[in-house]
Amino acid sequence: MDFNFSTLFQQVINGLSLGSVYALIAVGYSLVYSILSFSNFAHGGFLVVGGYICYGLLTGFDVAFGREVLLSVPSMGGIWLAGLGAMAGAGAVAVLTERLAYKPIREHTSMTLYLLIASMGVSIVIENIFVILVGGRFRALPQGTFPAATFDLGGGVTVNASDLLSLGFAVFFLGGLQFFLMRTRWGLAIRAAACDLRTAGLMGVNVSRLIGIVFFVAGILAAVGGVFLSARYTLYPQLGGITTKAFVAAVIGGLGSLPGAVVGSLLLGLAEMLTAGFVSSQMRDLVVFSMLVIMLLIKPAGFFGKQISDKI
Amino acid sequence: MKNAVFALIGLALAFAPMSGYQEGIVVLLCINCIAAMGVSLLTGFTGIFTLGHAAYMALGAYTAAIMTVRHGINWLPAVMSGGVVAVAVAWLIGVPTLRLTGDYYAIASIGLGEAIRLVLENWRSLTKGARGFPGIESYTTRFVAVAFFTAMGIVMFNLINSRLGRELKASRDDRVAASLMGFDTPSSRMKALLISAFYCGVSGALLGGYMNFIQPSMFDMMKSTELTAVVVFGGLGSMSGALLGSALVTSVMEYFRDISQYRMLIYGALLVLIMVLRPEGLLGSREVWDFLPNRRGGGIKP
Repeated sequence: MDFNFSTLFQQVINGLSLGSVYALIAVGYSLVYSILSFSNFAHGGFLVVGGYICYGLLTGFDVAFGREVLLSVPSMGGIWLAGLGAMAGAGAVAVLTERLAYKPIREHTSMTLYLLIASMGVSIVIENIFVILVGGRFRALPQGTFPAATFDLGGGVTVNASDLLSLGFAVFFLGGLQFFLMRTRWGLAIRAAACDLRTAGLMGVNVSRLIGIVFFVAGILAAVGGVFLSARYTLYPQLGGITTKAFVAAVIGGLGSLPGAVVGSLLLGLAEMLTAGFVSSQMRDLVVFSMLVIMLLIKPAGFFGKQISDKI
Repeated sequence: MKNAVFALIGLALAFAPMSGYQEGIVVLLCINCIAAMGVSLLTGFTGIFTLGHAAYMALGAYTAAIMTVRHGINWLPAVMSGGVVAVAVAWLIGVPTLRLTGDYYAIASIGLGEAIRLVLENWRSLTKGARGFPGIESYTTRFVAVAFFTAMGIVMFNLINSRLGRELKASRDDRVAASLMGFDTPSSRMKALLISAFYCGVSGALLGGYMNFIQPSMFDMMKSTELTAVVVFGGLGSMSGALLGSALVTSVMEYFRDISQYRMLIYGALLVLIMVLRPEGLLGSREVWDFLPNRRGGGIKP
């Protein structure tokens, strides 16, 4: 494929927009990792829950029950209400997952592998609940959910309004998270727990509630990511698989580091879109995983991660 | 003694009269158990958590399929080459990645496993791509599967009680202490990875000969998780536990075949439940015979 600057520019914009959605997912995942140091593979499930709740609220849940059980919300604020519902629902599912599946494991063992496998189980359960409930079909959010306008920047470069929206919302929510972590008491507690969960507990932080809050926040961010992903790729039960890329982004940036997760996500989005634009879109995933492997070999701690003290 | 018991089980599985359906299950059990033994050596006995071992099964399966179908080579050398190719790739991957510890190796193994699967999917001229590789002859009869399982099982059970086996356990329990004792831990970890890759490679090659058809998506992250989950389910550090876990999961999944829609749901819920109710696995870190009463002499209790 020929190299030209308008393709480059176009793919950079697409890459940033995709990367910002990855960032929403990766930050929530990294937040959980920073507290409990395990890879929460159920994170993709939270995203799917968010996506389907949003879809359900927009269409009155006719997919699940064969008829509209609710007045669909477009008449009552549309995507805003649906988005709020998605966030609340995914947050609740995240907290529920933690309470039902992870808490009992946390309480009688310190092996993170058990949490990891349980999280794989949860992700399989969530995915298949949707397969059974609504079927495996690809579903697009109703027309007009997001403005369909495109802006022409000249030279063949166009920007979709929905890309700009996802970028804007990602910045908004990441800013909100930053404010929450830096300016509130619970934020302080979370930062303390990220350094040392046990000590934070000894200092009087209610660890159980703190972990609940962390999962709720992670669920909210995943839901936002899920809504924008379903706008971009349509919605299906296996959509959560995309989280693997957010994991990769979080690892590249440094596991447990939130700025790292954002930087890693943007890099990954750019790499993916530039590969799609200049090489072939089938190579996208290969590039993603090669980046992971190369990064782990050169600098396993990632760009911003804590140094790994184990050196043998 | 253990070898004799193993051989007897093998003989019983190979020659007991069975219906075709039961034979199929036995073949599948043997194939899954071979892979589970490999992963158990790495995860249970060496403490290296992998979430990418399905890729070695894929390498074995594709090597055997390409050799038998494209080049008309006899299946036995093809299956063995499947194991060897998996070992070769594992060595290439292991040299740089085994330096990583804990979660980082697990994450790297996801990346590597997916990368290998994507290469198989995109290298169409060699592998026929994502739509799969059909027309593999059915060389994995019940007798072949059981023979492989028995032979590899006997080797594995002797291996874990050998010098290497003790080295692996030592480096799992405390790597620093083990290297201070004079064990070459990097080299024994590498040996564990290579052996486990060989087991998975052979298992994949046998799977191809049983299914007559292979596809990259059969060896995705889900399969890798299943391999590790089965080992954890049986009990980390228990080889007979890994076999038991693998046999149980294979049979349960087989039992629910009729309600395939709910099968994966049940499987996922099972994973969570096992971790919640019995995270140490079915047998903990003991072997089946540690539970026998009045055992005389030998063996050190963990």
